[in-house]
Amino acid sequence: MPRRGFMGLAAAGAVAALALAACGGGSSSGGGSGGGSSSAPAGFNAAVTKVVNPSNKRTNGTIYFGNSSTPDSTDPGDTYYANMWNFSRLYTMPLMTYASTPGPGGLKVVPDLATAPGTVSDNGLTWTYHIKPNVKFEDGTTVTSQDVKYAVERTFDRSVLPLGPAYFPLLLAPQKPAYPGPYKDRSKNIMGLKAVQTPDATTIVFHLAHPFADFNYVTAIPQTAPVPPNKDTGTKYQLHPWSTGPYKFQSYQLNKQLTLVPNTFWNPATDPNAKQLVSKIVVTMNMNANDIDNRLLAGDLNVDMAGTGVQAAARAKILSSNSLKASSDDPITGFLWYAYLNTVVPPMNNVHCRMAIEYAANKTNLQTAYGGPVAGGQIASTVSPPNVVGHKAFDLYEATTKPGGDIAKAKEQLKLCGQPNGFTTGIAYRSDRPKEVAAATALQQALSQAGIHTSLHGYPAGTYYANFAGVPKYVHQHDLGIDFGGWAPDWPDGYGFFDFISAGNTIGAAGNTNIEELNDPVVNNLLAKYGTTTDEATRNSYTAQIDMQIMKDAGILPEVYAKSLLYRNPNLTNVYVQPYYGMYNYAVLGLKS
Amino acid sequence: MVTFIVRRLIATVFLLVVVSMITYAVFFLIPRLAGQNSYQLATQYVGRNPTRAAVLDIEQKLGLNEPIWVQYGRFIRGLVFGEHYNSGTSSTYCPPPCFGYSFKSQLPVWPQMVSSLPVTISLAIGAAILWLVGGVTIGVISALKRGTLFDRFSMGIALAGVSLPIFFTGLLSLALFSYKWPIFPNVTFVPFTQNPLLWARNLVLPWVTLAFLYAALYARLTRAGMLETMSEDYIRTARAKGLPERTVIIKHGLRAALTPIITIFGLDLGALLGGAVITEHTFSLNGLGQFTILAIDNQDLPEILGVTMLAAFFIIIANLAVDILYAVVDPRVRH
Repeated sequence: MPRRGFMGLAAAGAVAALALAACGGGSSSGGGSGGGSSSAPAGFNAAVTKVVNPSNKRTNGTIYFGNSSTPDSTDPGDTYYANMWNFSRLYTMPLMTYASTPGPGGLKVVPDLATAPGTVSDNGLTWTYHIKPNVKFEDGTTVTSQDVKYAVERTFDRSVLPLGPAYFPLLLAPQKPAYPGPYKDRSKNIMGLKAVQTPDATTIVFHLAHPFADFNYVTAIPQTAPVPPNKDTGTKYQLHPWSTGPYKFQSYQLNKQLTLVPNTFWNPATDPNAKQLVSKIVVTMNMNANDIDNRLLAGDLNVDMAGTGVQAAARAKILSSNSLKASSDDPITGFLWYAYLNTVVPPMNNVHCRMAIEYAANKTNLQTAYGGPVAGGQIASTVSPPNVVGHKAFDLYEATTKPGGDIAKAKEQLKLCGQPNGFTTGIAYRSDRPKEVAAATALQQALSQAGIHTSLHGYPAGTYYANFAGVPKYVHQHDLGIDFGGWAPDWPDGYGFFDFISAGNTIGAAGNTNIEELNDPVVNNLLAKYGTTTDEATRNSYTAQIDMQIMKDAGILPEVYAKSLLYRNPNLTNVYVQPYYGMYNYAVLGLKS
Repeated sequence: MVTFIVRRLIATVFLLVVVSMITYAVFFLIPRLAGQNSYQLATQYVGRNPTRAAVLDIEQKLGLNEPIWVQYGRFIRGLVFGEHYNSGTSSTYCPPPCFGYSFKSQLPVWPQMVSSLPVTISLAIGAAILWLVGGVTIGVISALKRGTLFDRFSMGIALAGVSLPIFFTGLLSLALFSYKWPIFPNVTFVPFTQNPLLWARNLVLPWVTLAFLYAALYARLTRAGMLETMSEDYIRTARAKGLPERTVIIKHGLRAALTPIITIFGLDLGALLGGAVITEHTFSLNGLGQFTILAIDNQDLPEILGVTMLAAFFIIIANLAVDILYAVVDPRVRH
């Protein structure tokens, strides 16, 4: 959950970076507002559904990226930021990736280094991939399946690569003694992970501990990008990851500036999801976010790497100028802002008390708190955003029909809960995130109208999950019935979205992500079946069913499907919003001149 | 004089040790006193959904499970002798003064701070020259032309300079001279050794912005000092002896008035070398100031500790330099 990862990791800017993408419908103003008014200029939201300035012309120009934060890591095996997953496609080729196309097609996972999606054995435990035979590293050596295996092995040593996802250690068949990763592996050839086999130079076989139908999505994580063992430098590999993509590292001053130049051994025929159209890419990191916006508007910068949208000042400029607005997009990012409604803390262990909160919440005020309809998002009535594969729209608690809240119905639920005069509980939120502070305050005010009195408890974002909201014991002791959060999936289907935040078996003692502590057998059973079902239609039906069940349980109060206002530099070519990432696809950009 | 310098150097080392103890306690002891254990601390640096084994691995790697005095001892040992770090595939030596190992970037802190230093030094030295020359010159002229239009105008500007924060003047200068009229476009640090002209061009706006604030302060201080000095009896005596006015002003007036300016200059320059946080942030310059902001954002305790120590070092050294200059100027100080 890279995007979710956002929760614990980064600064606010990087956080939003975890956002996913709009499933093509980003231009809609849904929920009552939005950037797409009838008076919007023609170019507004153009890049959400189509390629703007399509071109394969190669220039000697330089694409300048600005980043208001820094990458968690440029090592493909050690990154969880969505913008880095997007950016890393410029220099890596994982086994699978997301189709380079705008609209819903961009949510489809397609082969990248692999020749085809993995083939799974009848028992669902073995996945086999064949890799393209002539893909080269930047030094001209041929990529082999052993390089992919080594890349996977690296992810087992969390003391060296702590930041990336941990799916492989969780999913692959265990061995005894436990595989420690290549840096501590004492076997002779440091290729001792038995659950991954490489019968020949182009075949790699994964043996799973249990069937997992979403495994193709897992192999789309940059961690399957090949790493030659003799080039691995451990924690320092981030300074020069060995490239298989269209560009390679020329220089990298950590967290300051990165320069990429064309990889002369890259072959477009083997990498249809990326392009090599400029002679240099320069990323300046740790920049002032407003400075980035101004340079974008002045044409001095080409891309805001964070991909989370412009700041308030630039937003006002863009929305008040038709010419600027014509070069901007306002997609749904795939990120959901919401509040966990804890199912254990009394009296919220009674579903009707949680339903009372669902009804009483003023969704319009919450939307305003998050930045309004353009920069904040569209009012949400479901847990899954519209761009999750299988999403089905419904509205159990009048979020869209009565966005100001329904106090009468809230009071009815309070009676059913046995708390006709209301109750008291605590609200946890991240005190260093102004939008979340505003949302917590707005929710407190709305709930008080129904007699639900809340106390506000702000915590630092950096330790929010590790020490506070993510620690059930702490939540219980401090009566934190409502806990704010944000989420986007590691891959855009229902399993990817729901598993970490609603499966009973994910409730942990610290760093918990199922903060509502939902342990509903219906949800658990659906998720279990989801993980082993390969039929597309059946899987999609599970998405809607799980979503509906969580809302029936009132375990989550959805607030907004996040949106962000992106500015498109007119000099860029091949610009479109990659639906999975919710930002422009960095792997295909070029320049007009 | 030598005894004086040696005495001051010993005091400086002692002061740095005290600063290191206090900052280390703030970042590593207080969280423990507040109830945070080493496991919780390690959880912050191991990514999402870690297994217990992964957290314990990180806890051990960073030495968080050891007694605090052992950790502090290792920190001091690294400062004096350097430290070896395991990068996974090899052991990396971090030469002294090694400020520890960054929990976030997975690399030693000191090399990262070193790479930020050229930016901050370029910014601070350039701005310091501007504000010192500009501020003192304006202050002297204002004092000599007290009550004139120049005096009133320059002091008015000085008042504005002192009052306006850098994040305002910086943004204004960028809006006017970088975005609207791109006389200084793309303010980005270019190393002096790479292209001196571009280095200077890209730093003009940050220099002027920073110098505007300080020059204003120095102009007012110089003016006040000059007014006081020029009314002293010995100035009248110098004039009565028939010394040229230029000599009276520069040798007898300005020299005396500069004494407090030297003190403040030392402190200001020392503080700036520790990171001109707002200026660097406004102009997106990746110096120690931006490094500090990033370290705080990431809650990277070793980086925060390192930059705090370095900033303290600069201020202490600047004070030492000022004290020595004092001793040169005024022999009474040596005693």
